[in-house]
Amino acid sequence: MTKLKKEFNKICSKVRRNIIEMLFSAGSGHPGSSLSTVEILVYLYFFQMKFKRKKKYDKFILSKGHAVPALYSVLLEKKLINRKLINKLRIIDSPLQGHPDMNYLKEIDFGTGALGQGLSAAIGFSIANKINKTSKNIYCILGDGELQEGQVWEAAMFIGSKKILDICTIIDNNKFQNELSVIDTLNMGNLKSKFTSFGFEVLKLDGHNFNQIKKSLNYFLNKKKRKKPLCIILNTIKGKGVKFMEHSGVWHSKKIENNDYLKSLKDIANNEKN
Amino acid sequence: MKKINYSIRDTFGKALENIGKTNQKVVAISPDLKQATKLSYFFLKYPERSIETGIAEANAVGISAGLALSGLRPVLASFGAFLTGKNVEIRTSIAFNKAPVVLVGTHGGLIGPDGTTQAGLQDISIMRSMPNMLVIQPSTNNETKSALKYFLSKKNKDIVYLRISREITKEFFPKKYKFKIGKIIPVLDEYKDAYVFTSGPLLSNCFEAIKGIKGKKIGLGNLSSIKPIDIKSLRSIISKTSKIITFEDHTVYGGLGSAVNEAVNKLKCKVKIFNFGIDDIFTQSGSVPDLYKYYKLDEASIRKKIISCLNTFL
Repeated sequence: MTKLKKEFNKICSKVRRNIIEMLFSAGSGHPGSSLSTVEILVYLYFFQMKFKRKKKYDKFILSKGHAVPALYSVLLEKKLINRKLINKLRIIDSPLQGHPDMNYLKEIDFGTGALGQGLSAAIGFSIANKINKTSKNIYCILGDGELQEGQVWEAAMFIGSKKILDICTIIDNNKFQNELSVIDTLNMGNLKSKFTSFGFEVLKLDGHNFNQIKKSLNYFLNKKKRKKPLCIILNTIKGKGVKFMEHSGVWHSKKIENNDYLKSLKDIANNEKN
Repeated sequence: MKKINYSIRDTFGKALENIGKTNQKVVAISPDLKQATKLSYFFLKYPERSIETGIAEANAVGISAGLALSGLRPVLASFGAFLTGKNVEIRTSIAFNKAPVVLVGTHGGLIGPDGTTQAGLQDISIMRSMPNMLVIQPSTNNETKSALKYFLSKKNKDIVYLRISREITKEFFPKKYKFKIGKIIPVLDEYKDAYVFTSGPLLSNCFEAIKGIKGKKIGLGNLSSIKPIDIKSLRSIISKTSKIITFEDHTVYGGLGSAVNEAVNKLKCKVKIFNFGIDDIFTQSGSVPDLYKYYKLDEASIRKKIISCLNTFL
């Protein structure tokens, strides 16, 4: 294992621990949806996005806003927010609101929570790049269930039609949504062919694999080689890293009780050893 | 009062084109209605700062939010009915994120043969309910020009819904009129018998209606700034009159009249308020004059309503 990959895995474990701590302390929130986005978020914040001093230059939008504990946990490891906040998720006057809120936390580039809206804002950021003569890359993570929102396809149509290269559309394809699996709720069919038909180049990969994430995000930066907008479909596991939460819709937004909490931390520690 | 032959939306389009020259941050966004909203003038002059989204208002709202949060000053225009129909997108992407977008809803009121689905008749209520959102309905060409200039001045960061009517309206204000946010502009400075509030194209209907009532002292205030509302002037007006009458070409549920009611209610006084507008219905197709007659918002109907209010004993 390379040094970089080792470091990456270590951060991912810490982030998973933060997520569980936060959600246990809050007594509500979305564990399954947060745990599936850990690797991509860690890669983006630690290895991909440009920072100028402590201020992020590139833009990031968590369109699936309910996974925000994962983002807070990454910001915590990146030391962009205070560790004391770990017990302040979802409580009154806390910067860590239940969904990303720019008014409470300046590290958030775009507040979300009503699904389907992030990709359109990404287009706004991209057009602003042209007018303001900046070159910020824009990363937007959407859930697979979220793709049922019509606005996503309005945005996809626009990105495909205008061949926008500086937006990286990332799908956290964890296969579950609020109540049931995506297939049992409203089957989205072949996502790759859908995005391809909208004018995207689509990469499908293991969303928990460092090398694959690294390769695809490096490819995103190579705009000269690319002719089409990029969509990265991350094949992920809902609840990844905590065995009893994995591959299940049950933990979409279930409260973590005391024994769940202890079991989760044990699981994360075990995974770290292996 | 001068007779003019161009509409408020034409004035809006021309004024925006002009402002585009001095404020390079202004960007126009249109979901396939630039000819109707008159964003077309800006699009022709500044194609590099003009975005056609196709018939995709939700995406247009999100794009505007992204532009605004990047330091630009987007002006998104569509029919008010369609634009404010994107309530959850405006609410989350724009208002919640404090993204300084100027939303322009044209075709407010009774718009004519196109019918009720195209008419903005609930737009003010929807937008007024949203935190961080101002709601302005300019009444004349000069006021429209001046309001747009105010909101697109380089320092302004307001999130605003501008309701722009489709019709040609009479001019009440001087060429050098300066729009001020949150001000009631007195048009008829009388108080004794009643005081009327309105804005938009109904201003001239109300003006003519009042002029035709002899022997009574009835005031008229231009309430173009629906949110924020001018509490100070309101307090002074209700201290001088016993009857307030509001007229709007919009549902009476949550519009201009409701805004007056809420404000007066806070002031704790004994003034009697009468609200007139569109009832809880969808309207229909017809010529504009026929529609205003049918829904009793033409000059003659307004006069009748004011007289009936005057004859109501408290």
